[in-house]
Amino acid sequence: MTELLSAEAPFGTPPPRETLLDVRNMKTHFKVLDGIVPAVDGVSFSIGRGQTLAIVGESGSGKSVTALTIMRLLDIPPAIIGADSEVWFDGKEILHMPIDQMRKIRGKDVAMIFQEPLTSLNPVLSIGEQIAEQVRLHLKVGNREARDRSIESLRTVGIPSPEKRIQQYPHEMSGGMRQRVMIAMALSCEPKLLIADEPTTALDVTIQAQILELLKVIQQKTGSALLLITHDLGVVAEMVDHVVVMYAGQIVEQGSVNDVMIEPRAPYTMGLLESIPTAEKRGARLSVIKGVVPSPFHLPPACRFEPRCPYAWDLCREVAPELSRVGGSGSDRLARCHLHGPEGESRRAAALENHVGAMRAGRGLKENPA
Amino acid sequence: MSDTETTQAAIDAERIRRAEEAGEDYEIGLVSLSQWQLAWRKFRGHRLALIGLAMIGALVLIAVVGPIFLPYDFATIPIPDKIVYQGRPPSLDHLFGETGGLQRDVLRLVVNGARTSLFIGFSSMFIGVIIGTIVGAVAGYVGGFLDNVLMRIVDVMLSLPLLFVILVASRFFGNGSVLLIVIIFGLFGWMGVSRLVRSQFLSIRESEFVEAARAVGVRDRRIIFRHILPNAISPIVVVASLIVAGNIIGEAFVSFLGFGVNPTTPTWGNILSNALTFIPLGNWWWPMFPGVAIIVTVLAVNFIGDGLRDALDPRSRA
Amino acid sequence: MIKYIIRRSIQAIPVLFGITIVVYGILLAAPGGPTAKFNQNPRITQQMKEDFKRAWGLDQPVPVQYCRWMGFCSKEVDDKLLGVLPAPAAFIGPKGMPNFLPTGLSGASNGVLHGDFGFSIATGELVNTAITRAALPTLILASIALFVWLFVAILMGVYAAIHRYSLFDQAATIFAYVGYAMPTFWLGIMLIFLFSGPGLNLLPAGGMTETRVSPPFGSDDYWVYFGTHTLAAILDVGRHLILPVVTLVVVNIAGDSRFVRASMLEALGQDYVRTAKAKGLPGRSVTFKHALRNAMLPVVTNIGLEIPFLFTGAIVTETIFSWPGIGRLTIVAINSFDYPVLMGVLLISSMLVVFANLLADVAYAVVDPRITF
Repeated sequence: MTELLSAEAPFGTPPPRETLLDVRNMKTHFKVLDGIVPAVDGVSFSIGRGQTLAIVGESGSGKSVTALTIMRLLDIPPAIIGADSEVWFDGKEILHMPIDQMRKIRGKDVAMIFQEPLTSLNPVLSIGEQIAEQVRLHLKVGNREARDRSIESLRTVGIPSPEKRIQQYPHEMSGGMRQRVMIAMALSCEPKLLIADEPTTALDVTIQAQILELLKVIQQKTGSALLLITHDLGVVAEMVDHVVVMYAGQIVEQGSVNDVMIEPRAPYTMGLLESIPTAEKRGARLSVIKGVVPSPFHLPPACRFEPRCPYAWDLCREVAPELSRVGGSGSDRLARCHLHGPEGESRRAAALENHVGAMRAGRGLKENPA
Repeated sequence: MSDTETTQAAIDAERIRRAEEAGEDYEIGLVSLSQWQLAWRKFRGHRLALIGLAMIGALVLIAVVGPIFLPYDFATIPIPDKIVYQGRPPSLDHLFGETGGLQRDVLRLVVNGARTSLFIGFSSMFIGVIIGTIVGAVAGYVGGFLDNVLMRIVDVMLSLPLLFVILVASRFFGNGSVLLIVIIFGLFGWMGVSRLVRSQFLSIRESEFVEAARAVGVRDRRIIFRHILPNAISPIVVVASLIVAGNIIGEAFVSFLGFGVNPTTPTWGNILSNALTFIPLGNWWWPMFPGVAIIVTVLAVNFIGDGLRDALDPRSRA
Repeated sequence: MIKYIIRRSIQAIPVLFGITIVVYGILLAAPGGPTAKFNQNPRITQQMKEDFKRAWGLDQPVPVQYCRWMGFCSKEVDDKLLGVLPAPAAFIGPKGMPNFLPTGLSGASNGVLHGDFGFSIATGELVNTAITRAALPTLILASIALFVWLFVAILMGVYAAIHRYSLFDQAATIFAYVGYAMPTFWLGIMLIFLFSGPGLNLLPAGGMTETRVSPPFGSDDYWVYFGTHTLAAILDVGRHLILPVVTLVVVNIAGDSRFVRASMLEALGQDYVRTAKAKGLPGRSVTFKHALRNAMLPVVTNIGLEIPFLFTGAIVTETIFSWPGIGRLTIVAINSFDYPVLMGVLLISSMLVVFANLLADVAYAVVDPRITF
């Protein structure tokens, strides 16, 4: 592991039992030729048992790296994990535990589904073997039972005649089928947490809906928790309870899915929602967030979204906003924006109104229905 | 998006930003360079290739100039101050030592051998490349039945254990002349080039610029030499470097077994062949230096080949 | 699968046929011809040379000679068509079937097609006998070399890939560059100097057995000795094998360990390796079951194409180490212009090349399920 970690970080206390996954101040940086890229920069969130949470963000926002860091799948180096970062899973700190112990958790208690079902399956092993080897390893069962369980999990994900399918190789299946195999593989050991990293991005649009529906049904049936990583806010509403919005390695907003979708607080979230295509927008120009995600070598000095933010003012260039509680006390809404600080009070109402207006226009409603 | 892609994208963005800051118009800067200038730029960045080039340059210089200072004549037998049958190990007078028997200076032999060995390596490569290019070009451009026949001949030639055949050919036709060895190696070393040229022709023949040339009535010969061949040169150059290395080792092999160049002419293989009979005397310096010369040459050619491969591959970035 | 092998074998027939023509052509074009070796002998008259040629059928037109050597036609029928081609009647074997069919069907037993390579003109021995006698030592040398070569190259390549840029990797890179540039025969000589020279007399400099103790390898006496002193005989051959095997494999190991390393690195960077890690598999299983199996796909083909070089390498290795195999047989035959033996050796080794290519394709198809027949 890294030099940073060898200094045996003093761990905090474990989270309460109801919390399955607790990510605390996760920092994942990459050492590259020209310096250090802070891909994930102080991210904290938690998921309760059986709960569902989505991390949303553009390419390069650090959402996939967050998932890979939890799974400890990044090569160290070039990755550097913060010494004070902690990930608690099922009452144990997993980010700094010996890799041998982590291997016993991977694939058994936490399973991951990747974006590319074609390249993520081994082309020279039959799918039956790819599922069964995991079952044999974690559940300590013999060949026969491992095979039966593999067939069972293939059946669960809706693959017809699984007894025959287990002898097939990945190239003999369609993209949607392969992703079902990936899901079956992830489910085979009945994990407590399922991490799905853009599970539908590489698939046809018609298959995307089927796979998402399958994930949802399975999550409800097995009661496992789900961490869904996506760039598509559109799919989030139907899939999860909670949302974390990431931008340039940081969380900019988080809360329950209803709150975030209906009353976004961070201008970035507002922009994302405004850019979702709807039937009413057909033919009209899609609203987009202007500019691109900043280069990780040259992040804006204060607020990282400031150069692209339609509501930014002097303060946003000088002081970095904190992720702070918005809404009433007792609410779990967090947002990272000066609009919700004392200095933004005068601008807050206008910004929110502007967003509501844009969303209404998107739904084909008049500017002022009254 | 994977993490490596993220970091790669970030690095690219940063490169462009820095170039812009420095006032360089990086895009226009690239366009104004020709294909060969670009390749040279990339080749220059390849440290091993530059070392290889320097090594080959030095070897060619030694081969050309060396024999003037250290002339060798088979009939001139050195008369050493002290007769030692097994020869003498390296000393200040004889840096590479002296051979057994006639007690010749090994350095002198190696320097004169460089001339023959390099000459054979390079000139047989040229013959092979010319034959291979012609066969490949005809097969790829004409296609059809002729292509089929030529490619079957290539298949047959590639299935023969070539060094066996070369051995037999040098013994049966050879009279120990350097030229004959060059021709034999040339005649048995064109198959790889012809396959390569043919595949290049097949793909380039269908490209738009050749179609356009044909549409305006350009003659076949001109299309082949002016339009297609220049595009096929880069892979040929890379294969040619490998052929040089192979032929230098091959010549040494044939001469070592006694079927190559006349034993009175020093080549690296001949020196080794003579050394073999003296093994029980333990005069290691005799076979060692010609062997090291072969290794250094082949190493240099391989380095250059690696550099060329990287420099001429349009997909690789500087 | 069987169909694929049959189809590929049928495709190989024209190539093998072409090889026989080239082999025949090379030897035919040689100046002097088979009587060249008598030129130095003043007691042999022109008439004796003519008789010699007639006795061996060398006075016949080239196509007739070729067809007889191949076994297409019977040499008992001495008629010719247009004076150049064999008469049609010659193509019919004793049983009334075409002469080139297997002996059981046609009754013919002459020519290469029936496994008859003729007589050595140097020793008068059957070519088949000479080749069979030399084949065993070469097979012993080549198979052990093949095993060592594959084992070391794969192990080195995989280890270097897993520990990329480590000290071992860098040392392996230097070894690969130098080893690949090294002429086999030079390495052999230097090894003899090092290990069997006057200084460090550890290993035998040549031969297959210790001549003071054991009868010559392959003789009847040897097998008697082998039966009574089995362990000593095996150890003896083993001691003599060390230097030739090292000489033979270094170049191949140098090239292939790099190839395996590159292939392994590519496999280790693939998504399915990440999946395997995500499943919680131990490192060993990730490396050997998931990455190595994929990395071996290009390696299998490459090795199939390189196996013939073992035989080329054997010529020189056997010469240096006085190993009584096919290589030595070839050198002796070249020196004495022994055409029939050379043709036999060339033909058999070309067939081995074609067979190795076929084997590589089949092996590739077996290890990669994506290839359909």
